[in-house]
Parts: sequence; structure tokens; C-alpha cells
Amino acid sequence: MASAATPPWLPEALWIERSEVDSSLAHRIRARAPHVPVEVADELATAEQVASFADGKRRLVVQRHRGTFLHHCPAGTSGLVCCNYLVVNFGANCPFDCSYCFLQEYLSNNPALKVFTNVTDGLAEIDSVLQAHPQRTFRIGTGELVDSLALDHLTDLTLELVPFFAQRTNAILELKTKSDHIDNLLRVDPRGRVVVSWSVNAAVICNEDEPGTADLGSRIAAAIRIQDAGYGVGLHFDPLIAFDGWETGYRGAVERIFEALDPGRVAWVSLGSLRMTPRLKATIRTRRRNGQPLSTRLLTGELVPGTDGKERAWRGLRVRMYRSMLRWLRDVDARIPLYICMEPAGVWEKAVGWVPSDREVADSLVGMH
Amino acid sequence: MSPPLEDMIRRFASERRYAGVTIERWLGLDAPDGAALLTLAEELRLGENQLRELWEWAEDIGDRDGRQLAEVLALEPIVAARRQRVGRNDKLKLVKRALRRLRFPSLSASEDQLANLIRSLALPPNVRVHTPAFLEGDEVRIEITARTANGLRRALASLTDAASSRACDEIFGVLENWT
Repeated sequence: MASAATPPWLPEALWIERSEVDSSLAHRIRARAPHVPVEVADELATAEQVASFADGKRRLVVQRHRGTFLHHCPAGTSGLVCCNYLVVNFGANCPFDCSYCFLQEYLSNNPALKVFTNVTDGLAEIDSVLQAHPQRTFRIGTGELVDSLALDHLTDLTLELVPFFAQRTNAILELKTKSDHIDNLLRVDPRGRVVVSWSVNAAVICNEDEPGTADLGSRIAAAIRIQDAGYGVGLHFDPLIAFDGWETGYRGAVERIFEALDPGRVAWVSLGSLRMTPRLKATIRTRRRNGQPLSTRLLTGELVPGTDGKERAWRGLRVRMYRSMLRWLRDVDARIPLYICMEPAGVWEKAVGWVPSDREVADSLVGMH
Repeated sequence: MSPPLEDMIRRFASERRYAGVTIERWLGLDAPDGAALLTLAEELRLGENQLRELWEWAEDIGDRDGRQLAEVLALEPIVAARRQRVGRNDKLKLVKRALRRLRFPSLSASEDQLANLIRSLALPPNVRVHTPAFLEGDEVRIEITARTANGLRRALASLTDAASSRACDEIFGVLENWT
């Protein structure tokens, strides 16, 4: 029985690549979305034009992935302290429509959500990397281009991923989500190799800037159950947004989360400031949701350009935010592994008090202190 | 927007070869906002990039503070800058500075604090202290210009005095603590 408080997403239209019609994934999705119209095409050209980015989020394409599955996290930009994270993409685009999401720029011409049928190819690729480097412990996440759990009720992807990683000794899988769809996860044993991470924010941001996602309370409720089921739980306070009242908002979120969660079983907490390219800003400025501008609080903060071309809250303000967050989190439990995402050494030094190497950050997160 | 105003905007923008997308966006504004932007653009003879920068900041301020674009451009600091009897380039700098202060209030406050501290070092004109753009960094760059050995010695002596002053510690304290 489904236990999520948030309704599961269903597409309004389904495209299936002709060669994949008999794939188990296509059968599964059709069975679970029996009333959704289906189009089968040799090439998915019919899916190429949509009126808007939001329209693309109502369509689902089932296709074979051509190319590599595993990549270095793009956050590992030169000049920034990096946690050596790998991302694996078993799909692209996300049913949620967060106001600040980089996919609005990165996938601006994308006509639909995509899920890939050849998951076993992706797992084989991961396996070869893990076997080639047995001395290293990898952190691998699925949540870069699509929420890790938002489509799981259609795909059952986690029923393949969790047992796969549960059998590996030198990798940790991170499933990154803003949903509360955890039923599949409760059916499999992670054997300590899987962390389910929730992207969290001040409640007002969750409510107003993250449409379609589970609210903060539902994410916390799901995290409690996941912790009890033997999974590690991660938290990503990212993006931190310098809105009017951010101190109350973020302190409230930290308190609310740790009133419920056991901090001793939190695998890691990351902090990241809102980052925007000029093009993403322009997109956010022009998009409308229900006839209203997407969000003014994202655009009106004191964002200034950095050396990587992205705009962030000016350094003094974001260092103040990081210091505040670190203080509140350390007040909860000083042993929680913490890191800051996509910031230069100078910001680490000012906020944390020291500058770790990339390797030190990565090792601290897989328990190799 | 009335046809005469639309014509005036089109004429001004096409004379300066503005891109079509900018013109259409301008024409899409409410009439008072479009007119206020035209008055500013004519007064400062703005090129497209200059207009877009000022417009974006003014729009952000308006979104943040719940004001129309015309209301932002009529705020006292902007009006005061526009009233100055200086040449076009200097006036543009003043208007830009006034808008920037409204757009980035806490950043501007820190920049002002640093500027005051640097001024208090009383360095000679051939020694300049540069702080990072948008304070996006914690390094201070010192520039010395000298045409004679004595000029260089005087610059270094004044810098030595400045480096041992309390204001110098405060400059780095501001950059260190960002408070």
C-alpha cells in the first residue's frame, strides 16, 4: 500500500521508442499508467516540440540510452573545493518544477521527461569502474537530472539499484529526492550501502518555490521511516536563499528536522548557496506559473557574479549564512559530517575555519576519516 | 502605451540600433514605466547594454520593494544623481552608483566601510588600494606608480606607516569577518 502523502506523478502522454516497446520498463509503465495515451515511434521526433518547459514535464519518453551513464559531478569546477562525486543518469528531466532549478536552462529545449530502458548497461558500467578501483570508495548519485524517487512508482528503478549497491563493498549509492515515495525502498535491504538524501529548505521555500514536491513535514516523515529501515539519511540545504527572514526560516528547518531525525545516523549534510547563470536568471524572469511570475525572491537577493560565471549572494552574506547554518547544525550534533558545495577555498576558510583537499572531503563522507 | 510614446521609444531605440527583443520588451511595459525609462535613456543617451543594466537593477529593486519601475527611477537617490550639474558620463556613473546602492544594500555598506578605512590611511595619490570586485575575494591589491626613486621611497614609507595602522587591521578584519 502506498504510504506517501504526495500524489504520485503520472504523465499525460507516453512515447515509447519502437525498439523498446517490449522492454520490461515499457510494460511496467503502461501497466501502472493504463489510461495514459501511448505513441510508439521509430524516432521520437513527434516529441520534439512543446509549447513550454512546463509542458515538457507532462510527457514521458521511454527510450534506450546511447552513451555513457556515469559522469563526474559537474559541480567539480576548477577553483572550487570538490567532493569527488559521481553521477549516474537513468533518466532526464524531473516532474517537479522548482523555481530555481538549473534544468530550466540546461534542458530548456527538452520536450519531455525521459527514462532509460537499458539500466543493466548502466549497472555494468558502474561495476567495471568499481572493479577497476577496488581501493577507492565511490559516492555515486542518481539525482542530478531527475529526482531519484519521483518516478520510482512507475519504474521500480530502486528495486534494481539498491540490491546492486548492497552487494558492493567500495561504493555508496545516494538517492537524492524531494519526494516522499519510499515504498520500494522499504522492500529491499540496503546493507549499509545506500543513503537517501532529502533536499530541504526553509518551509516557505518548500511551499512556494518547489511545486509538486512533498512538503517539509512529509519529507521528514519519510526520512524517519527510511532511517528506521537501515538506510543512511543525507540532507542537502541547497540552495540556501538569502530571502528576507532567512535566519528564522533556516533555523526553523534545522530544528524541525532534528527534532525528528537521529543526528547520529545522518550520513552527511551539505550546504550550497543559490547559484544562477545569467541565462537561468533570464529564464526565471520570463517564466510564468498560473499567470504569475515564478519567484521574485530568487532574483532580488544581492547576487553578484563569481569567477565561474555564476551569480551567488555576495560573499559576505553567504559566508554569514554558512556560519549560521554550521553553528545551528553543530549545536544539534558536532559529529554530523558537513560540507559546502561549489565554493572556493577562501569561502571554506572563512565559513568552516579550514580548507580541506578534495580527497579529505570525499573521504570524510564515506567514513574514511 | 499610447502611439506617440511607442513611436518615441522606437525612434530612440532604432537610432541607437537596439535589438528588436529589447525594444519589444520596452514596449511591453506599462506606459508610465516605459515613459520613465525613455526619459532616463534620453537624458543619459544610453546605449543598449547601459540601459539594460540600469533597467534590470531598477526592475529588481521594484520587485523586491513592491514598486513600479517609474517609482524606482523617481526615488530620491536617483533623482539627486540626475540633478547633478555634471557631464553625461559623470552623471551616468552617479546614477549607476545610486541604483547599485539600492540594489545591493548590504554589499554597498561593506564597500563603503572599506572605502572609508582605505581613505583614512591617507596614502599619497600614487598609491592605490584595490578591493575585489563585488568583494568576491579576500585579497587587497596595492598599486604603486612612481616616476622617480624618491617618489617610490615616499610611497613605500607611507605604505609602511599605513600597514602598521589600526585602520589596516580593520580593513582585513572587514574582509575576514564580513560583518
